Amino acid sequence: MPALVKNQEIVADDWLLVDTISDYVPDNAIVPFEHIHSTQATAAWIEGDCEIEEAGEQLARLDLVAVNFPAFADGRGLSAATLLRNRFEFKGELRAIGEIQPDLTPFMRRCGFDAFVLADERAAATAIQCMSSMSDFYQGSVIQPQPPYLRNRST
Amino acid sequence: MYQYDDFDRNFLQERVAQYRDQTDRYLAGEIPDDVFQQLRLRNGLYIQRLAPMLRIAVPYGTLNATQLRKLASISRDYDKGYGHLSTRQNMQLNWPELEEVPDILAELADVNMHAIQTSGSCVRNVTTDQFAGVAADEWSDARPYAEMLRQWSTYHPEFEWLPRKFKIALNGAEEDRAAIAVHDIGIQLKRGPVGETVFDIYVGGGLGRTPAIGARIREDLPEQYLLTYVEAILRVYNRYGRRDNKYKARIKILVKAMTPATFGEKVDAEWAIIKDNPQVLTKEEVERITRGFAPPAYPLLADASQQLADQRLASPAFNRWVEQNVALHKQPNYAIVTLSTKATGIPPGDVTDVQMEAVADWSERFGFGEIRISHEQNFVLPDVPMHDLAELYELAAAEGLASANQGLLTDVICCPGGDYCSLANAKSIPVAEELLQRFDDYDYLHDLGPLDLNISGCMNACGHHHVGHIGILGVDKRGDEFYQISLGGNATNDASIGKIVGPSFGRDEVVGVVERLMDVFIDYRAEGETFLDCYRRVGMEPFKDRVYAEPMTVSPSASAG
Repeated sequence: MPALVKNQEIVADDWLLVDTISDYVPDNAIVPFEHIHSTQATAAWIEGDCEIEEAGEQLARLDLVAVNFPAFADGRGLSAATLLRNRFEFKGELRAIGEIQPDLTPFMRRCGFDAFVLADERAAATAIQCMSSMSDFYQGSVIQPQPPYLRNRST
Repeated sequence: MYQYDDFDRNFLQERVAQYRDQTDRYLAGEIPDDVFQQLRLRNGLYIQRLAPMLRIAVPYGTLNATQLRKLASISRDYDKGYGHLSTRQNMQLNWPELEEVPDILAELADVNMHAIQTSGSCVRNVTTDQFAGVAADEWSDARPYAEMLRQWSTYHPEFEWLPRKFKIALNGAEEDRAAIAVHDIGIQLKRGPVGETVFDIYVGGGLGRTPAIGARIREDLPEQYLLTYVEAILRVYNRYGRRDNKYKARIKILVKAMTPATFGEKVDAEWAIIKDNPQVLTKEEVERITRGFAPPAYPLLADASQQLADQRLASPAFNRWVEQNVALHKQPNYAIVTLSTKATGIPPGDVTDVQMEAVADWSERFGFGEIRISHEQNFVLPDVPMHDLAELYELAAAEGLASANQGLLTDVICCPGGDYCSLANAKSIPVAEELLQRFDDYDYLHDLGPLDLNISGCMNACGHHHVGHIGILGVDKRGDEFYQISLGGNATNDASIGKIVGPSFGRDEVVGVVERLMDVFIDYRAEGETFLDCYRRVGMEPFKDRVYAEPMTVSPSASAG
């Protein structure tokens, strides 16, 4: 069963991802972005190639945005997340869905994802470990914009 | 060279532990093959035809004596006692055990080395002129900027999973020895109006299946924007580069599809928003990195020109070597020496543990303990006192590292080919070997003058065949090895992609074809004209006519392989 990691913990998932829209859309639905107006949902999912420049303002008003990774090595969602956080100052939950491998979650986290749907609890536990395996990085990121030399790097 | 601090060392330690954990989980069956493949590739580990291959990063081809001794001991302890200098200035080991790679990485980390991002769809080892910092024709040292790019691109959160591999090269000299025109991003350093460093940025060059010369999309980029501008390029590429077909996934395809002008506009629009983000280089950071590349305190040396002239007169062999393998140094009475790995009986770029240790020793005895690796797969000693050249020559000759062929026909660039690589369609090393055997007359080679002959065993073009004045590409025809010959490629200033002569040749014909090409060149060349200039003047026809004139007679020695 898929497991949700949020803020480095396995938590219950209160949201419901929907692929297709029927007559009844529950309040906790994460709907495909193109249905956001017709459903009045407060959460939507997008593909990694979403034109964030066009969708960003609407997305930034939502409670949750999920970005789908169609293949684990497809890095487009990393750029989408970075733009959503940095350019449109999205403050809600940014969730990685699709083919999420534990070893890639550290990169996703640094691009602004704070929630990850893993294949099962074991993968979720591994992801939590992976996310703490490196303590600092050479360049700034969404979660730590300053590169080390602007903070405390020895000179 | 760049001095590691606590941050760098800690980063490497954590990375080794992380990779060890990944290997353990893979061996325990917890990571699927296709996922582990991508993880190990980002750490330079391929699974090859016969064994894994580990590509160790040598950032911009610079290493010190301690590091080279470590590479020697690793190749002895974990491999078969030799390594291979690659065309990205790295070192490859052909026979490590997958299970032992974490131990190798731990040993590398002890001397501030690693294998991070030497493969995979991410930013690869940043390369530059192997003579950077010492070349007489240099106006700006590219190594500090290469190091800034290395640090910035290491584990970049957004750009570790690009559509395809990504190669950046920089050049700060008059002669482009870094082949910047055939890189995903090529950076030409220039001096601005008040002597500051500025950059011209080229994108979309590359080799492989669809060779292309990079297009300039930005002139005179101020120094502080180096990283934010490259970030803008990579973001556009990461978002819009093709991911449906790996042969159309390099940035050159995107640049061509959009046109360089439109691509440049897209980059500029992105850059306008991010140009002053926290990755803008501060003066302090540029100074911190540049400090590591300050020239050594060169002792003043007495003029050795008379001594050298006498030694050259006394020994024709030494004279040839000086003529060919010794380059002008910025500092008077010092010289830059290329130690050629291209000797008969040895695959181009292969060096033994004993040779590595010898080169490490010489770098200390005849310099300041620094060694370079060139993309032509040779070692370079950057700071040799002129009065020591004769002694170094004797030592190098005894170790088989004194072939006087730098930049000549037999200074072949060659990929590992079908002997090792599982991608290859044909063998490349035996072709290089036959060429080295056939063209062993130095006077003839020298008379032919500068000639780049590059061999790749497949379309991926690791042997840079597109930009050889003569390029040889291995192709597979119904299970047999054939070779396509191209002419007129050039990797340096005024770069060009070679044109295919015509139908391909069998392996036993290749050396004969090169001989005929040389005959045509000798017939047609004007006084002092190089092969490339001659080809550009007379065109393909005379070469093509001669090569296909009559059936190739195959000599017994060449048909053996």
